Amino acid sequence: MKKTIYILILLISSLSTAQNTALFDEGNASYNEGDFQEAITRYEDVLNTGVHSSELYFNLANAYYKLNRVAPSIYYYEKAQQLAPNDKDIQNNLSFANNMTIDAIESIPEIGFSKLFKSVTNKFSFDIWAVLAVVSVLLFVSFFLSYYFSYSTNKKRFLFLSSITSLCLMVLTLAFAFQKFSYDQKDNPAIVFAQESDIKVEPNLRSETAFELHEGTKVQIIENYKNNWTKIKLTDGKTGWIATQDIKAL
Amino acid sequence: MKSIKYIIIFIIALTTSSVFAQEEVVFEAKVSKKKLGINERLRIDFVMNKDGDNFSPPSFENFTIVGGPSQAINNSWINGVKSFSKTYSYFLAPKKRGKFSISQSTIEIEGETYKTLPVVIQVTAAVDKPKDPNDPNYIASQNVHLVAEVSNANPYLNEAITVVYKLYISPNTGIDPWRVLDNPRYNNFWSLNIDMKEYKLINTTFKGEDYRYVILRKTVLYPQKTGKLVIEPLTLDVKVQVPTNRRNFFGERQMSIVNRTVAAGNRTIQVKPLPEEGKPLDFTGAVGDFNFKVTTNKSELKATEALEAKIGVSGKGNLKLFKLPKLTLPSSLEVYEPEHNEKVSTNLSGMQGNISDSYTIVPSFQGNYPIPSVSFSYFDLKTKSYKTIVSKELIVNVTDGPVNGALTANKDEDKGNNKHSVEMSSSQFAAFKTRTNLVTIETRDFFKSKMFWSFLLLPFLAIPIAIFVRRKKDQRDGDVVGNRIRKANKLARKYLGEAKKALGQKESFYNALERALHNYLKSKLSIVTIEFSKEKIQELLKEKAVNIATAVAFNELLESCELARYTPLSDVEMQQDYDKAARVISALDKQIR
Repeated sequence: MKKTIYILILLISSLSTAQNTALFDEGNASYNEGDFQEAITRYEDVLNTGVHSSELYFNLANAYYKLNRVAPSIYYYEKAQQLAPNDKDIQNNLSFANNMTIDAIESIPEIGFSKLFKSVTNKFSFDIWAVLAVVSVLLFVSFFLSYYFSYSTNKKRFLFLSSITSLCLMVLTLAFAFQKFSYDQKDNPAIVFAQESDIKVEPNLRSETAFELHEGTKVQIIENYKNNWTKIKLTDGKTGWIATQDIKAL
Repeated sequence: MKSIKYIIIFIIALTTSSVFAQEEVVFEAKVSKKKLGINERLRIDFVMNKDGDNFSPPSFENFTIVGGPSQAINNSWINGVKSFSKTYSYFLAPKKRGKFSISQSTIEIEGETYKTLPVVIQVTAAVDKPKDPNDPNYIASQNVHLVAEVSNANPYLNEAITVVYKLYISPNTGIDPWRVLDNPRYNNFWSLNIDMKEYKLINTTFKGEDYRYVILRKTVLYPQKTGKLVIEPLTLDVKVQVPTNRRNFFGERQMSIVNRTVAAGNRTIQVKPLPEEGKPLDFTGAVGDFNFKVTTNKSELKATEALEAKIGVSGKGNLKLFKLPKLTLPSSLEVYEPEHNEKVSTNLSGMQGNISDSYTIVPSFQGNYPIPSVSFSYFDLKTKSYKTIVSKELIVNVTDGPVNGALTANKDEDKGNNKHSVEMSSSQFAAFKTRTNLVTIETRDFFKSKMFWSFLLLPFLAIPIAIFVRRKKDQRDGDVVGNRIRKANKLARKYLGEAKKALGQKESFYNALERALHNYLKSKLSIVTIEFSKEKIQELLKEKAVNIATAVAFNELLESCELARYTPLSDVEMQQDYDKAARVISALDKQIR
């Protein structure tokens, strides 16, 4: 009974992935013929089935770029980049899309140790760091036990050192996992979808306008207020309140 | 009018007198004016057309008699018709302000008493200058007027209005060239004077009288403030030719020239604010009727070439008075300060023409650049509502050049090599990806999950468990007697398990026991299959240097197994044999190495 259910599930899932791949291919065909609107519909059909991939987001973003829709184009390039951070094509086309944006926002460069720390932390996702921590725990335990059960002094010394090293490794990877997790918690990027949006000093319409943002600009979400207003932060450190419907979180 | 009346009366008098042969007697009082300032004087004439006697003047209360009475008799013969008039004249000065009536005067003509009608005179406050009707200045002031005509006294803010300055001149006076004394400053207005190239005299009526006017100047004004605004008067110095009573040799009237300062009075204009309702956010004050366009001179170009984008407004309205909307461009484009162009002509209906801002744009990277739509709002005076024109979004395609942010492609070519090396140009927009591996969006994080914590912490538990197990083992190794027992039990469990199960059933028990003993020896001595005779076993045991007692016990056991098939045995004996077997096996185990 159980076996048949498993087989059934496997069959259905393979069927649905086959369907999605067919949709993806249809989208690519439309894209290649220049019917970008149709391609977008196909790609979004794939997304609606609950699956994604960096290539799917990339093609979707390309189609939006070809239609000169700045905000969705950048939005999906960023999505693609989240899944494949080191893909050259994505970086290249994202820079094309960023050319279309109106706002020029300078980012504050990080220097010295904090930059190094950040780059090391961002090397892996927190899940990978967690796996590394588990591996080092296992290493530590096995080294320690073999140290405990071995008799020769040389062996004992080597095993002890190894076990201590792997213990340190475990502490380190665990710390990185936590750090990366907190980075990811704080990192809530969003793309401005409104063609032009006033950033207010306070979360109401009466208050003064601090600055203006245009379509396609990437911002960081800090907090929400009553679902209508979102506090955002730019890479140059400016903060303000924006109407929530003007942005779309990544 | 008055003169016309007099003329008519005179004509009637003439005709009647001729027709009815002096039958009609006229006796009347004539005043030079019915309304005068308290500092002015009044002349009253009592005129009769037949000589009479016993003239008695009225009492002239409220007036003082300044001069008179003076008598004048006028006899004339014209075309055989005799006319006669006799006049008694008084010059009066009023004593106080108010309305007074000069009562009747009487005269006896041919035995009959005639009376004049009472005359009502209004005495007002003192006037600046007692108007002397013969003063040329007074005449000039009465006959030359400067009027400012405002096209709309209640305009909207920034709606064009015109002020036309007209100089009215009565037909019997003339003017010589004028000089402008004071040009009005139009505070709170944007103004433009349209000077007239030639002056035309146009006949018209002014305050019910025949007049001629000349347009001196036209001014277009755009109010810049709401509320009551005052237009300052224009002041002119005009040389006025005034007719005098003197006549020249040919009987023409001589004119005297008088310098006269005329001013158009202050005009107040009530400026309405533009309605707040429906005012677009991007409204910058444009009022009129406009057309709005955003254009570029190229839609495709190479990087570092220049492109011109133009924002232009054309039409009618306050073109010079509002700001053009700004073009917002992608930050990656280099944009220079816009150049402002104005081609505006102003006529009476206001400004018309076009204004534009030209932006010079130099893209430095390739790609598609949108020039976002720009909206322009203005207030339409015809419909009295705001209108917004939104330009279309334009796309500029920059075809050649580096990519922003990407590494510049290495374009060095090996010149010695004739073969054209195929290089991947990284400065192109990458095409779509053909293959993909779709995964579900829903992901479960491993980090901080229960599995993660158990994987992380459970291995640590292995350490104390291992240590505990090790300790236990050491303890057991130290305990010799216990070990032996444990070993024997272990062996017994291994070989005598079947026998133990069959304990109580004589036949099967002993069969099992025998088989167990044989099996034990077989495995211990690594014998495959040999016949197990008792002698053979003894021999083998001896070879292995087994204790004689043990060997004997082993033998006894085998014997009792054989015996048991023929003799009845109790459970107790069975148990004894089982224990013995266990002991023997354990002893053998120790002795056979």
